[in-house]
Amino acid sequence: MTALRVGVDIGGTFTDFVFQRPDGLLERRKRPSTPADYSQAIVEGVAEYCAQAKFAPAQVVEVVHATTVATNAILERKGARTGLITTEGFRDVLELRRIRIPLAYDLSWQKPAPLVRRALRLAVRERLDSRGNMLQGLDPEGLDRAIDELAGAKIEAVAVCFLHAYRNPQHERIAGERLRRRLPGVQVSLSCDVLPEMLEFERTSTTVVNAYVAPLIARYLDRLRGALAARGVKAPILVMQSNGGLISASSAAERPVTIIESGPAAGVVAALRVARECGYPNVITFDMGGTTTKASIIERGEILRGTEYEVGASVSVSSRLMRGNGYLLRIPVIDISEVGAGGGSIAALDAGGSLRVGPHSAGAVPGPACYAQGNERPTVTDANLLLGYISSTSLAGGALQIDEALARTAVRGHVAEPAKLSLLDAAHGIHMVVNSNMVRAIKSVSVERGRDPAEFVMMAFGGAGPIHAAGVARTLGIRQVLIPRAPGVFSALGLLHAEVEHHAARTVLTTTGAGVMAPVEAALEEMRSDLLGRLREEGFDPARAEIARFADLRYRGQSSELTVPMPDGPLGESALRALEERFEQEFERTYAHRGDTKAFELVTVRLVMRVSRAVQHGSEWSAEAGAPPARRSAYFGPEHGQLETEVLPRGALGSTPRRGPLLVQEYDTTIVVPPDCEARVDAHGNVVIAIGA
Amino acid sequence: MAHDPVRLELVKNAIGSIVDEMVLTVIRIAYSSIMRDTMDLSSAFCDRQGRMIAQGLSVALHLGSIPDAMDWVLKKYRDTLAPGDIVVLNDPYQGGMHLPDIFMFKPVFVGERLLGYAVVVAHHNDMGGRVPGSSAADSTEIFQEGLRIPVLKLYEGGKVNQTLMDLVAINVRIPDVVLGDIQAQVAACGIAERGMNELAARFGVERLEQHFDELLDYSEREARRTVRSIPPGTYRFVDHLDDDGVDMDSPVKIAVAVHVEGDELTVDLEGTSPQVRGAINSTLSFAKSAVYFAVRSVMDSDAPNNAGFFRPIHVKAPLGCLVNPRPPAAVAARGISGFRLIDAMFGALAQAIPERVRAAGEGGTTSYSFGCYDAEGRFSLFREAIMGAWGGGCRREGIDGIANGAANISNAPIEMVENQAPIRVERYELVPDSGGAGQWRGGMSVLRQLRFLGERATLQLRSDRRRHSPYGLMGGRDGAVSNNLLDDGASWTQLPTKFSRPLGKGQAVQHTTAAAGGYGDPLRRDPDLVLADVIDGKVTPEGAERDYGVVVRRAPWRVDIEATTKVRKK
Repeated sequence: MTALRVGVDIGGTFTDFVFQRPDGLLERRKRPSTPADYSQAIVEGVAEYCAQAKFAPAQVVEVVHATTVATNAILERKGARTGLITTEGFRDVLELRRIRIPLAYDLSWQKPAPLVRRALRLAVRERLDSRGNMLQGLDPEGLDRAIDELAGAKIEAVAVCFLHAYRNPQHERIAGERLRRRLPGVQVSLSCDVLPEMLEFERTSTTVVNAYVAPLIARYLDRLRGALAARGVKAPILVMQSNGGLISASSAAERPVTIIESGPAAGVVAALRVARECGYPNVITFDMGGTTTKASIIERGEILRGTEYEVGASVSVSSRLMRGNGYLLRIPVIDISEVGAGGGSIAALDAGGSLRVGPHSAGAVPGPACYAQGNERPTVTDANLLLGYISSTSLAGGALQIDEALARTAVRGHVAEPAKLSLLDAAHGIHMVVNSNMVRAIKSVSVERGRDPAEFVMMAFGGAGPIHAAGVARTLGIRQVLIPRAPGVFSALGLLHAEVEHHAARTVLTTTGAGVMAPVEAALEEMRSDLLGRLREEGFDPARAEIARFADLRYRGQSSELTVPMPDGPLGESALRALEERFEQEFERTYAHRGDTKAFELVTVRLVMRVSRAVQHGSEWSAEAGAPPARRSAYFGPEHGQLETEVLPRGALGSTPRRGPLLVQEYDTTIVVPPDCEARVDAHGNVVIAIGA
Repeated sequence: MAHDPVRLELVKNAIGSIVDEMVLTVIRIAYSSIMRDTMDLSSAFCDRQGRMIAQGLSVALHLGSIPDAMDWVLKKYRDTLAPGDIVVLNDPYQGGMHLPDIFMFKPVFVGERLLGYAVVVAHHNDMGGRVPGSSAADSTEIFQEGLRIPVLKLYEGGKVNQTLMDLVAINVRIPDVVLGDIQAQVAACGIAERGMNELAARFGVERLEQHFDELLDYSEREARRTVRSIPPGTYRFVDHLDDDGVDMDSPVKIAVAVHVEGDELTVDLEGTSPQVRGAINSTLSFAKSAVYFAVRSVMDSDAPNNAGFFRPIHVKAPLGCLVNPRPPAAVAARGISGFRLIDAMFGALAQAIPERVRAAGEGGTTSYSFGCYDAEGRFSLFREAIMGAWGGGCRREGIDGIANGAANISNAPIEMVENQAPIRVERYELVPDSGGAGQWRGGMSVLRQLRFLGERATLQLRSDRRRHSPYGLMGGRDGAVSNNLLDDGASWTQLPTKFSRPLGKGQAVQHTTAAAGGYGDPLRRDPDLVLADVIDGKVTPEGAERDYGVVVRRAPWRVDIEATTKVRKK
């Protein structure tokens, strides 16, 4: 074997690499991200590793990539100049949204500006009914007038979304052809391609986001491909989607809406692999970074999935109660909830005398006070430094200059003195309060989904996850915490474990009782051949494809659906009854009761096609020189006080449980084992912490 | 015990988490879409003395309702409740607000000791009465509005009171849904019982009760700090409802006088119309909710909503007036009076702290329902809400297409409506030139037009702000008024603000919401912002010149600076 595989995850501060060498061993690297051109850090990182490890760039067989480029374009409003063509009478669907606001009592709230301004939202006369029958043909002259106007406005991308186009794409196809002919070079996104599902706002919003980021993503991936090729790396690029599966760079350029926020998804994919390998069917992932913390649920060995989320909501919880701060995407996603708490969260005493942590964050720049880059307010990282949980030489792999005195000044001035607390109690208070913020977020999302966190094992990763995991787990009632290997580059590792995956969905809206399944069967067959075609285009072997079918059902008259696996084979009577029963079981599991009707609607059918590639997934890491064992004093709250604590590398922690306090020093994080907990390393190299009562 | 800012935050988060989980539990397991999707419910925990310690994710206009309901429960059952008891009520004249809202209380015991009460108030889809949904604006006495439940035990020692359950079941149109939703409330109380017991184990009961005191003091401090930030004085404001839904030609007056003295704020509603025949009367507890909502909205803190927050805020209204009616006044559609009282509160506060409020919004959700029979003779109800606009504020643009802050709900997806009901939505758009002109423009009117495709239906609609437009502030103009039109196939005719009427096949109704008021002199609006609105078709070129004194030229779009200066000088 000569194959070298590269997983690379771009974050706001660092670009993380995991390399799988020809001998199957894994190695990790980290380097600062290059926001001016994110591909630069990737190219240099790969070249540097190849030079150091003495591999030829041509040995690279694939580059698997997760990127925040699309997300940033939305956050910074730097996407393409985009137009929208829609049905007459409905020009404002995109702007009216779903009306609901995320927070009560905030008169200063501002609604996010639509990604397409009203002047560029053009309505054309046409109308279909809810069955897809034509009520009003598409007005060709009106269409041409709209195209003239968009041409005059020099748009770079255009979205088309007509009412009920999920039922009948004909008008959108005509508009698409006309647009492509008259505006060559302009990216055209049709809602019947991007999201052939019911709900006009969700479909319009998703199609518009796709159009808005497409030109930029295409340019970025081209640049990356070119720059890698110039350094001799000619391997195909695969990109992570929000659903945890990979697609080719060319597919990503066409449907970029699926790759938004791919990094967090990769972390969950890595967690799933560890969970399955090590025999933990039920896991809550806890991924704490510099600005946000993300949590997701693995249950019975499967990732919990969702069908929509918001991008660009500055602090988002994936709760539908909090919708409205960002741009809605209705696409298959890993159900990840996010809370604005991280190492950079700023602590302060509020006017009422309560210690608050967040929502303000010092982010990566200027970062915590101890980074000495201009922020003088205390952050969670500053508190962890004073508590002795992290050392001034170990942060970010030692790549950052840390000034502990600045952390002390910040915590003393902003928290300890005004709160009349000792410096250590103030720092410990900050640590505890941020824990309680995260606990509240994790609890509410699990309760909303009908799950009790106490029944799960916590898997912690991300730069700050292992520092806070034990404390957060204890409050959630979780008894066991798992810190996988390489927690600081876990998402990059997940990229190497992921499989190629394509999703397709079609709204069919019919009842399961009536038994007219021919259109449903036709939709399934059409999606299947579409997906196989796409696979061939991408150069994968369709023979290796596995297809799973899912259906979204609901009780008649209700507004929300649940997704359940479809039985194999044709949709005869028995298959339909089985499908109904699966739905009712899932409904009961989620909502604790069954419906009072036996009338079901089949709303949407979905296909998921997975392709395993002909690659070996390595899981062994090459030996790294661990820091020599040492001791430092760490503070564990008034109950335990300040204790001389052993600091050791993972390799020195054996399989026999050892009682805390312990600090396990990692490449770019520290695992904190409090005094009343026990830690050991399991057969797979995970650190396992048993939480004391 | 010394003040401990860390402990305070930890307890605040932990109790906040429990009351939030109560709401999430109801949303998850309720049967009706009004609970699951519209989320018209609230939760709270009250201590042993009945003081509200924290309120969960909830409807803003439930803010002040729980303390009054709690008082009625204590009046009847203080010190006599046992573990496993659950008490309910819905009667507006015994602590309730309107009949669809069922209040539920479960005493939480730690061992033998009473720690407090879990409370859930939730809006049920139907409570019987003369009109499906039990929310009609044109009832004239409470007896028409549905089943009244005084303070009664629904469970005793964990055993259900079957008599009461049977009585509810026989009185409502959809018993399975209503009883299912009641069970969701019961489950939420169980969540609180478990969560509070865990907290008691973690902190100790006595310690925990001390923390309750601290939390009340904390919110009180924050509320007093807010009141102190308002210059002392008396601020009066009068606003109106167009009518009460029965006497269509008599406007209904809401008058507020906000007295601010030091850190105490008193709202006197003397001068408000006497109670009316239609069902827009509102209990005093609901009026308090509206006042608390307004104060909360100018508060620069996210302190818990609890009894401490209410301490410095006082509300007075004469008995027998619109917002403190005597029985048997009808109250089902009291929501609209709450919206108007909030408008009046902000109008008064604007005189003291103009930079912290906005001009009036659309004036409240327009709600309507189609009731019709399908081919098999089954009754079905389709309802939705149309919103909305926020006013301009100091250096804040108004907002187009947004929920009223006091009733945070969603619109209904057009494609879903058309799939589920015999209705075609023909237009759903913003209306140009409707937003109140100002240096900061008010949000625009929203227009929705629906055509009925079935055989026959009863259409019931509640709107307002037809004759009394949403006010502008600091020289900003009022927003456009609302309108209702009917297309009977031949021509468009006007409909009243509130009505129930039959609708035949092919007829259409068009509702236009009122628009929000502007803030500041429109002649001081940045001409580039006016230009952007003209380019976007939110303001017409004529409107730009008429309302803003800005002359806009096209091809390419630009402001004619010379002409603008001339017009603005006039």
